[in-house]
Amino acid sequence: MTASVDRKVTELDGPPSLGPLYARAAAGAALPGGGGRDLPAREIVRRGVSVEQEHLADYALACGFGIGGALPLTYPHVLAFPLQVVLMADRSFPLPLPGLVHLANRITAHRAVTPDETLDLRVHADRFVAHPKGAQVDLVAEARVGEELVWEGRSTYLARGAEAPADNPPGTDIAEPSTPTGTGAATWKVAGDTGRRYAAASGDVNPIHLHPLTAKAMGFPRAIAHGMWTAARAVAALQGRIPDAATYDVVFRKPLLLPSTVELVTERSGPDWSLAVRSARKPDKVHLTGRVTPA
Amino acid sequence: MPASTRRAAVIGGNRIPFARANGAYSRASNLDMLTATLDGLVARFGLSGERLGEVVAGAVLKHSRDFNLTREAVLGSRLDPATAAYDVQQACGTGLQAAIAVANKIALGQIESGVAGGVDTASDAPIALHDDLRRVLVRLNAAKSPVDRLKLVGQLRPGQIVPEIPQNSEPRTGLSMGEHAARTALEWGIGRAEQDELTAASHQHLAAAYDRGFFDDLVTPYLKLTKDNNLRADSSVEKLGKLKPVFGKGPDATMTAGNSTPLTDGSALVLLGSDEWAAEHRLPVLAHVVDSETAAVDYVHGPDGLLTAPVYAVPRMLARNGLTLQDFDLYEIHEAFASTVLATQKAWEDAAFAKERLGLDAPLGPIDITKLNVAGSSLAAGHPFAATGGRIVATLAKLLRERATEENKDQRGLISICAAGGQGVVAILEAKA
Amino acid sequence: MSNDLLSNLSNTPVAKQLGLPTVPRLRRFEPGQALLSGPVLVTSVGDGRFAKPISALVEENGQRVVTAERSESRTSIDTAGEEKLNAAVLDLTGATTLADLAAAREILTPAVKKLGPSGRVLLLGAEPGEASGAEAAAVAQSLDGFVRSIGKELRFGATANLLIVSGDAAPSAVDSSVRFFLSSRSAYVDGQNVHVGAPVGPTLDPAGMDDPHDPDLPLRGRVAVVTGAARGIGAAIADTLARDGATIVAVDIPAAGEGLAKTANRTGGTALQLDITADDAPARLISHLEQRHGGVDLVVHNAGITRDKLLANMTEDRWNSVLAVNLGAQLKINAALLESSVLNEAARIVCVSSQSGIAGNRGQTNYAASKAGVIGMVRALAPKFAERGATINAVAPGFIETEMTGHMPIGTREAGRRVNSLKQGGLPVDVAETIGWLGQAESGGVNGQVVRVCGQSMLGA
Repeated sequence: MTASVDRKVTELDGPPSLGPLYARAAAGAALPGGGGRDLPAREIVRRGVSVEQEHLADYALACGFGIGGALPLTYPHVLAFPLQVVLMADRSFPLPLPGLVHLANRITAHRAVTPDETLDLRVHADRFVAHPKGAQVDLVAEARVGEELVWEGRSTYLARGAEAPADNPPGTDIAEPSTPTGTGAATWKVAGDTGRRYAAASGDVNPIHLHPLTAKAMGFPRAIAHGMWTAARAVAALQGRIPDAATYDVVFRKPLLLPSTVELVTERSGPDWSLAVRSARKPDKVHLTGRVTPA
Repeated sequence: MPASTRRAAVIGGNRIPFARANGAYSRASNLDMLTATLDGLVARFGLSGERLGEVVAGAVLKHSRDFNLTREAVLGSRLDPATAAYDVQQACGTGLQAAIAVANKIALGQIESGVAGGVDTASDAPIALHDDLRRVLVRLNAAKSPVDRLKLVGQLRPGQIVPEIPQNSEPRTGLSMGEHAARTALEWGIGRAEQDELTAASHQHLAAAYDRGFFDDLVTPYLKLTKDNNLRADSSVEKLGKLKPVFGKGPDATMTAGNSTPLTDGSALVLLGSDEWAAEHRLPVLAHVVDSETAAVDYVHGPDGLLTAPVYAVPRMLARNGLTLQDFDLYEIHEAFASTVLATQKAWEDAAFAKERLGLDAPLGPIDITKLNVAGSSLAAGHPFAATGGRIVATLAKLLRERATEENKDQRGLISICAAGGQGVVAILEAKA
Repeated sequence: MSNDLLSNLSNTPVAKQLGLPTVPRLRRFEPGQALLSGPVLVTSVGDGRFAKPISALVEENGQRVVTAERSESRTSIDTAGEEKLNAAVLDLTGATTLADLAAAREILTPAVKKLGPSGRVLLLGAEPGEASGAEAAAVAQSLDGFVRSIGKELRFGATANLLIVSGDAAPSAVDSSVRFFLSSRSAYVDGQNVHVGAPVGPTLDPAGMDDPHDPDLPLRGRVAVVTGAARGIGAAIADTLARDGATIVAVDIPAAGEGLAKTANRTGGTALQLDITADDAPARLISHLEQRHGGVDLVVHNAGITRDKLLANMTEDRWNSVLAVNLGAQLKINAALLESSVLNEAARIVCVSSQSGIAGNRGQTNYAASKAGVIGMVRALAPKFAERGATINAVAPGFIETEMTGHMPIGTREAGRRVNSLKQGGLPVDVAETIGWLGQAESGGVNGQVVRVCGQSMLGA
């Protein structure tokens, strides 16, 4: 899937602070002619990342995971996400960070990762291709313990109205998971402060998630839930039912405005699970579909 | 080690009248109610100063200070303080499961006597602090230096003062029991009229039982309440028919505040013992505990309804005892909702369900509804979650004893109690002629 | 302290300065208390057969027996340095002449002067109906007026009572009654006469009984049913009988179950929630007693209700409910007890009547009728129970300080309290102690009697 390229490695010695990065990216986006035409051949690396118990506990609480011997399937994403932002906020990145829409996400855990393991994280961008509404790009993350690849993530973002180089190979999108339509397995009353909570736990302080006012400034009627929060909350409901080594695909559909009441629908087929998060009032309004398969 | 087992005897019971939440018992705690119930039982059976084998009870909605609720109740009662006690909790199955726990120890000869049951208050329910506030306070308590404390105080926010009130909802599904039951009702096509009929019957049966003095030796008044105050002796299908549905959606919604149990406060206990212990104390044996079974279903991601576990538990227990569903003289099916009782019966009658889900060649078949909940059940009496098992065991045991005496014939009764968490506890009682 | 302010005040120095009437503080029984608190004058006039056993009883109880020295001019009582007599017991069963009566007067005149606080005058007389000749009958009957008048004259909580003993009653037949009237258990029983005959049923063998003279546990081993035991006098009866060793079966209506459970647990007994007016109540009570206790020794019909209204305004409901609880239920249960085999040997039935049933009371036509009816029932059933070796008696409380009287208007309450020889209301325990005496196996000589517990009330006397 990924062409082998030599990438310039930027090593971070600590977690980047995302607030200033967002601010800089916002300022940069306002400038004309920012960014290159194609993806930068860069890789952001942070080695020796150890899990902070407090941070993990806040995350688990915000997403509905239990605190136990293994990291939640989606947790390494929040460790890798700042690295994504570093890459995307850089002036060399061809797409403006503000306004990027998270379209889909794939996470593969190759085994259970325990909180006491030290992770090396790498993030690069890949598959910069045309999308009917603009251009999309994958931010690819991996986590290794020593040499062993333990976790991978691929986040697909859309930049509305942007253009991708026509000659880039299209690659394969994450296949749309089927949408289960049965009775809801769970009803969630998603509180108004869910975005702030997840922002605090994940570091994703994108203003569209934080407050109705900041969301309005970005063109949303109310704050919206982080897609990865919804994804995490959904897979948290399957804790104990899915294997440690699993691939979790999600496709984000309608934004989940805060607060709201939604339903989780799950459906099992052999070892595979499909799931959907939909509006409790209007079951046709689907916020997310997902699929968990053994890896 | 005892070489063989024996059947534990149900000697009697005591409960306080059940009260609709935030009413007669609004100031009474679980401990208050359980202690009063225990003292009433001690009075009825002359157990003042007696050391019993064990007291086992529990509550579903429980304050953290009540971690040793049952033991505290024993210490506050007239029983010998050397009577051991422990708490159990299996949602609405608590009372019956407690009785099974005691009955099993008696059966094994480990104890000679015991008391089992439960208590619940929806009025004095524990209210938790907002999680953030709670964490700040816990840290504040642990903070060593004034500076640390000051920092923590700085984390306090007005929004944290909003408390978290416990909800009668399943943690994993966020749905109330009523909503779950409404789904099951819809799935089995349970109609409004049949639910209202069952409800009216429950009220009428309970009222008649009170009128004939049936509860004179099963209930001890408490806080000026002498009868279950949810009871509407004049309940009728017509009156119930006027209520608006509260669970479920749209035109298919059938479940009302009438044909669903209200939030209730109350407490119930049963006295169990070996036949020998009963004889030594000149106490009557109402019935014996024959067998029990607990089942659970995957109501979260699986095909089963939250309150349908008894549908699975009963055939397993019947098979083990070589009985059919029709081999009972009385049935006590806990009326969490009228629709639950009806759906349970429909599932037992359904051939496809029997084959595909229960793995049986034939369905269990129908039950004679004239033998069902003949002294009323939870729809009329109310349903303080952990107390319901004790109410049912004592009621059924006495009913069986009455019939065994009148008809001079052994009597067998079935208890079926559905519980939150997708569990179901069922048991067989028998009374010898 | 009771809510009787005058009684509380009159035991303070202030009272004397204010010139308040004195309300004596009655000596009441406590476990461990000796039967007697001082020397006892025991003597007889004529051919009595009780002076000797009673003297023995006094000595058994650690007190000196004092006799009256009669000379030509005077009768002297030597209390040997002791200031006061605890009691004066005069056996007049052999008094048949006016001279005998005069002799009795001669002894009692110095005796009452020597009588201490809460002292006792106890006369034993013959049955007037058994007397041979008019003079003997007159003398026997005269004791009634004599003792009632002594009661009214005595002060400091002292009482005077009369046992009218049949000729066929052995000395042991009066034993429990003598003990009761000499002890502080009879604190509020004053001016009464009680007939004592030969004990009903088979002769009790004291040796075969469970230490019948254990003064602290006279009811040991006996199963006692108390109706209306949830509160008030019924609860006091249960407590007192339990204190005296009885196993209590506390009965009350289901609605009173909470208080009933407390009574049962306090007394270590059992609670039976039962509406005694229900048709099946007698059967349920009897089957409960058979199953749980194998029989019954003492049934106390205490349950009662009031629904006061002037007759002009009396309703069917008020009339019927009072009659049903206070009398109808007792009739039905007693009939069932007689038919059953639940009565143990030496069973005792005690029915609670009332002063209202004797004296009448404004606004209480229903209540008074029911309580007078109880007396009629007791008299009618006494021979029937006697056939079963059992007795049935009534106690008729006067003004007893209860929660109920606490709610009376102060005028009514004060009047009720003071119109008796002891100048105060009684306590529930006074009723209970009287029932305890009648409930003893040894009280088989007392049957069909109505004992007022009224401090010698002027009402209905």
